[in-house]
Amino acid sequence: MDLMHHSSTFLLPSIPVDSHRPPLTYALVVLNQSLPRFTPLLWQQARLHLCADGGANRLFDEMPLFFPKENASDVRRRYKPDAIKGDMDSIRKDVLDFYKSIGTKIIDKSHDQDTTDLHKCITYIRDSSSDVNKSNLCILVAGALGGRFDHEIGNLNVLYCFSSLRIVLLSNDSLVYLLPRTHRHEIHIQTSVEGPHCGLIPLGMPSSSSTTTGLQWNLNNTEMKFGGLVSTSNVIEGEKVTVQSDSNLLWTISIKKL
Amino acid sequence: MDLMHHSSTFLLPSSPVDGHRPPLTYALVLLNQSLPRFTPLLWEHAGLHLCADGGANRLFDEMPLFFPKENASDVRRRYKPDAIKGDMDSIRKDVLDFYKSIGTKIIDKSHDQDTTDLHKCVTYIRDSSSDVNKSNLCILVAGALGGRFDHEIGNLNVLCCFASLRIVLLSNDSLVYLLPRTHRHEIHIQASVEGPHCGLIPLGMPSSSSTTTGLRWNLNNTEMKFGGLVSTSNIVEGEKVTVLSDSDLLWTISIKKLWSEITLVPS
Repeated sequence: MDLMHHSSTFLLPSIPVDSHRPPLTYALVVLNQSLPRFTPLLWQQARLHLCADGGANRLFDEMPLFFPKENASDVRRRYKPDAIKGDMDSIRKDVLDFYKSIGTKIIDKSHDQDTTDLHKCITYIRDSSSDVNKSNLCILVAGALGGRFDHEIGNLNVLYCFSSLRIVLLSNDSLVYLLPRTHRHEIHIQTSVEGPHCGLIPLGMPSSSSTTTGLQWNLNNTEMKFGGLVSTSNVIEGEKVTVQSDSNLLWTISIKKL
Repeated sequence: MDLMHHSSTFLLPSSPVDGHRPPLTYALVLLNQSLPRFTPLLWEHAGLHLCADGGANRLFDEMPLFFPKENASDVRRRYKPDAIKGDMDSIRKDVLDFYKSIGTKIIDKSHDQDTTDLHKCVTYIRDSSSDVNKSNLCILVAGALGGRFDHEIGNLNVLCCFASLRIVLLSNDSLVYLLPRTHRHEIHIQASVEGPHCGLIPLGMPSSSSTTTGLRWNLNNTEMKFGGLVSTSNIVEGEKVTVLSDSDLLWTISIKKLWSEITLVPS
């Protein structure tokens, strides 16, 4: 079984060079919730920037607040999304007009009510990337947790629907991503920015057997399921966590309030 | 298969009398997140009031903000929890001392690291209720969604661990509760306070077959699972939704942004 490495280097001010593994290429999707405090940092790491519908309102309204000494219009032009995609039922007209005027691609999918705005953005990114790029592509999603509960669940389902892509859901408090059962996992903890609270979650399907190292309460061929044991309020010990499971698990870790 | 009725009457200013069914008894648990704007309303409906550890900090700090014209100390005495339970690693000393001094029961379970604070509170409520009372008991949990993701998941797991109890998780935006597969369900929509956005979620296990009425996109012996179809961003149509499934499902519905008369707690 192949090994899959994970590391929240996108939360670091500068990405360390790792000669063992090719660097990841990041894409950023901004959803319709208040921008997490580290959004400018994520923006810097990412090569492709998308807004899902009302995420454009958040970008327009809130990005200037991170740079109070600068002219708001300058900030908005600097943080220009490559595209805005979705069913367009949340984006404000003034916001849409502004981004159109500075060259952002507008992809109106209002006829498609079968998929969420995030789902639409992921397909756009996936279809924009060549096969070579996809293996080291990582999609960061800001504003993915909290807010309306059914939206949050829809965002979690996107992780499962695109289980061969690296997608990280982010809020001010936590990050979440999928650990596919097809791989063994090594999670390199960036202790300056994340932890120590963490969890492993058998969302959607019980897990008969999961094994970990590096946690305060490790699993040892342990069964996990909703209605029984789900590993939450666990604590990282050290700088590396390993996970192996017969089932897809969600990994979540707290983000430090820096 | 027996029918189970659901209705968010706890979000209404006064509970309507239903001659067909005995009224529910409510208990309220406050968790360690900013109090939802309708918390005073939930408090009025409930006969038992608990704080889970740091939920006491929130009650102490934020309840007076709902009554800015009143003396904070008076508000705190009026909104006195019956008990504070948990592992006590979040509650502030000044808050603990205050509630002790006015007679709140303090149940320190700091030795027990195997269950969450919410889990401890639900067992306290369950063990305090007689069998007769449990069948019409409904536990309301404020501040249960959002915040740290693993906490939210732990709270959702409590719904699944106590599947025979009515437990409703509440935030400013949504409410969530379990629809056990052992029953057919009728959900009576209180359109003045909830909706229209809703969802049905096979949280822990796929569902081979679910059937609904009353939604814009109804299910008809439809399979649902993570990685496939999960009913989110659905819409309530009319005042009654019915659900039948081979699997436990979570029901969620959006809460309307009302209560403009009450001062909103600054976030």
